[in-house]
Amino acid sequence: MLKRLLIAALALTTTTAHAQTGEAPKAGERGAPGLAIRTAKALTAKWEGECVIDHALVLVKDGKIQAIGPVSTLAVPEGFEVVDVGDMWLMPGMVDLHSHVGGTFDINDMVYVTQPELKVHASVIPHNPMFKRAIASGVTSVLYIPGSGVNSGGQGILIKTGLDNYEDAVIRDPGSLKVAQWGNPERWTVGVGKSWENYHLRDMFQRGKNYAEAWDKYEKGEGTQPEKRIELEVFRDLYGHRTQVSTHTQVYQVVLETLTMIRQEFGIDVYIDHGEVKGYLTAPLAEKLGVNAILGPRNVDMPRLFGMDTDGQWQGIAAEYQKRGMKKIGFNTDSPVIPQEELQLQVGIAGRYGFDMSNTEGVKGLTIVPAMTAGIADRVGSLEPKKDADIVVISGDPGDPRTHVSMVFINGKRVYDTEVDKRRW
Amino acid sequence: MKFHEMLQRRLLFAAAACFCTLVALPTVFAQEKGADDKKEDEKKDADKKDGDAKKKEEDKWFAVTHADLYTGTGARFRDATVLAKNGKIEKIGVEVDLPEGTTVLDAGGLVVYPGLVAYSSNGLFGAASSDFADSVNTFSPNLVMALGNGITTTGQSGAALKLKRGEIDGVLMKDKATTLLNFSAQNPQGRRSLLDKFAATSQYLRDYRAWEEKKKNDKDLKEPAKKDSDATILQILKGEILARFQSDDRDELLGIARLAQKYGFRPVIEGCREGWTIAEELGRAGAYAVVTPRDRVDKSEELVAAGGTSIENAAILRAHGVQIAIVPSGKSVDLGGIAGRDILALTVEAGFGVRGGLTNDAALEAITIVPARLLGVDHRVGSLEVGKDCDLIVCDGDIMHYETFVQQAVVDGKVVYEKNKELFYAHIRPRNDSALAPETRVDKGQEQPEKTAAAAESKDDAKKDEKKSDKPDKKEEKKD
Repeated sequence: MLKRLLIAALALTTTTAHAQTGEAPKAGERGAPGLAIRTAKALTAKWEGECVIDHALVLVKDGKIQAIGPVSTLAVPEGFEVVDVGDMWLMPGMVDLHSHVGGTFDINDMVYVTQPELKVHASVIPHNPMFKRAIASGVTSVLYIPGSGVNSGGQGILIKTGLDNYEDAVIRDPGSLKVAQWGNPERWTVGVGKSWENYHLRDMFQRGKNYAEAWDKYEKGEGTQPEKRIELEVFRDLYGHRTQVSTHTQVYQVVLETLTMIRQEFGIDVYIDHGEVKGYLTAPLAEKLGVNAILGPRNVDMPRLFGMDTDGQWQGIAAEYQKRGMKKIGFNTDSPVIPQEELQLQVGIAGRYGFDMSNTEGVKGLTIVPAMTAGIADRVGSLEPKKDADIVVISGDPGDPRTHVSMVFINGKRVYDTEVDKRRW
Repeated sequence: MKFHEMLQRRLLFAAAACFCTLVALPTVFAQEKGADDKKEDEKKDADKKDGDAKKKEEDKWFAVTHADLYTGTGARFRDATVLAKNGKIEKIGVEVDLPEGTTVLDAGGLVVYPGLVAYSSNGLFGAASSDFADSVNTFSPNLVMALGNGITTTGQSGAALKLKRGEIDGVLMKDKATTLLNFSAQNPQGRRSLLDKFAATSQYLRDYRAWEEKKKNDKDLKEPAKKDSDATILQILKGEILARFQSDDRDELLGIARLAQKYGFRPVIEGCREGWTIAEELGRAGAYAVVTPRDRVDKSEELVAAGGTSIENAAILRAHGVQIAIVPSGKSVDLGGIAGRDILALTVEAGFGVRGGLTNDAALEAITIVPARLLGVDHRVGSLEVGKDCDLIVCDGDIMHYETFVQQAVVDGKVVYEKNKELFYAHIRPRNDSALAPETRVDKGQEQPEKTAAAAESKDDAKKDEKKSDKPDKKEEKKD
């Protein structure tokens, strides 16, 4: 037994040592020569202004995008390795703000109705097999969050899918405080309803607010140092606008609570996550309050579903939000409910049922919108200078299931290449 | 009661009713017997003429015109016409004369495809159980939604059914084209017994055929005994029914391929997940594979060889000669928590086949002619050809594109679904205001020039003139 442990330990040391020394970094990665990618079309997903560049060149240095523009205006600097992807397109790595496949599945503890202190980061397995398939579909960043079995399951983590070490992969911890409103937490013990669930959420937020304010006062030199309470620590991040509440919220009644309670009453940055069903009725108010909508995975209502009245129509959720004035609409999978690699299909479904994508809203809903929503648009979500070089080489419209991904870069590192790897998706 | 039994009873009843009428007829005539014989004869002649005219009137002509036509046979036409007589395709071409009274569906600017064939579905005909005959509902909203997504034929419980809206006659196209065999590696005894049956039946068939030959010379020669031969397997070996397997694992698939090669039959394999790893063997066996390209299972850790799912499965199999049918993972109309995987997502699933390397055409075959073949109805549906059923869909673009909607669905030469007239999808990108929206009208037909000798000589010229003079008229008709 001891011998076996020893061997295992040895093996571990060797592996770690190998991972640390590794091979020399390749062009585009940190500490390596630059990389220039030439393409027929780049969908930059820039939120404002022109977001499609024909015959584009992207320059990558030290894992970041150095420059992007038409081939005619940009020269390849000396020493840069050139990759010409021909008539394949480029787009930013996709961002999924509702994912459960970042590691093991023990992320749905249902001990208390609200347990904001639980951290999902204990379950992370970087670059796990499900992530590997996700990469092959262009998903480079996810918000790995606890389940929806209780009203607040704990803190999620924003993580990149294709990097081997936790330290490299993590974008932000806490990625969000997960809140689940009516629709799932009824499973908790005796079976509870909307009033009770809202009462407990309000109670949690009130305690959190008091705690954050007490610390704020203390840090400004007023009052005594409050007692540290780990179950409420996350509220200091929330009130410091360093993270957001991601709310699994669906039906009209509770999406309204997301807006009126969490955003208006407690002034916390929050977004609609896993948006479905008739939540779109709140769109005008949500838009006014700056609450974005991340939608999916059932991105369409069919007649008779749950007895919901759709006037006999099939209604695209994204189309209905858009019709009511919502500007920032993104998409999520709830993987593995929908496999992580099918994020892009959400755009196809939205488009089919009336979501207007004439200004690449579909691409933006997979990239810059979730990035802005989660407050990480300074690093990911679009192909713009100074951002992480998370680049997807794709054969066309990401909303079309016929489209495939042939190459993916994360932080300038080529993590997937169909020329080298077996086709994974 | 089985559906065909129901039909049989109905036929019997109809026959009985006819018989009664025939019996009654002489009495009617008997009353007129006193009348003048000459008059009677004249009357008969007149009746005959009327009858002929009626017959002509009864012919129902239907045409789709100005279509960007994808026939499913590899041929594509622009500005084409499909003309159907009584529900069967009479003509396909770019310059087709329409008989008087033809109902015309103008599909200018639109794309026409053969109606899609779902290899297997549940619940399109209402809340039908496995024995759909007891609960078939051709007014079901699910059936309308399926039509709205292009499906005009479906398999259900092994039978081929046509999505005839609001009608029962003609729904059942074929009762059973395949028979399920169990060749599971989990059941070695069953496997062994199946192998024995194949050996015995194959031996019997050989003996029987030899006997048939020898009998020509020796009439008293005794017919070989059936012994352990199996009636179903005999049908398979004779090519009367297709052997169907449900299998995903490489080892099982290999076993099926070898079995099929040895005994000379073409297996239908549902699942076929690891087929890509032994595609050559399956190709050699002439296998058909019914696959779900989006299927995903990691390979078993015990397996040393390649395994698990591959997005390229369908493409690799097809490259090795395996015919591919594609089905979504869900068989019913249902979005419970998940969209894009139910039976309405047939084209989405085919799209994932293209993602894995299938051509667009091959993916379309996988949801039209190949499943039609597996259901035993490829002589009627699955492609647009003269003599086949006029089951087609009129689309506002590439059927494989997610934004494309079926504008009209036609079954047996009859428009059974119109997007702008149903609540389901009418509000999504409506085409009502567009000049290109399909319109239905009754065509007055083209006047035929008199068949004089002079006219016959200048027939070609006349035709051209006719077309020139016809065109403005047609436009006027449209405005009406």
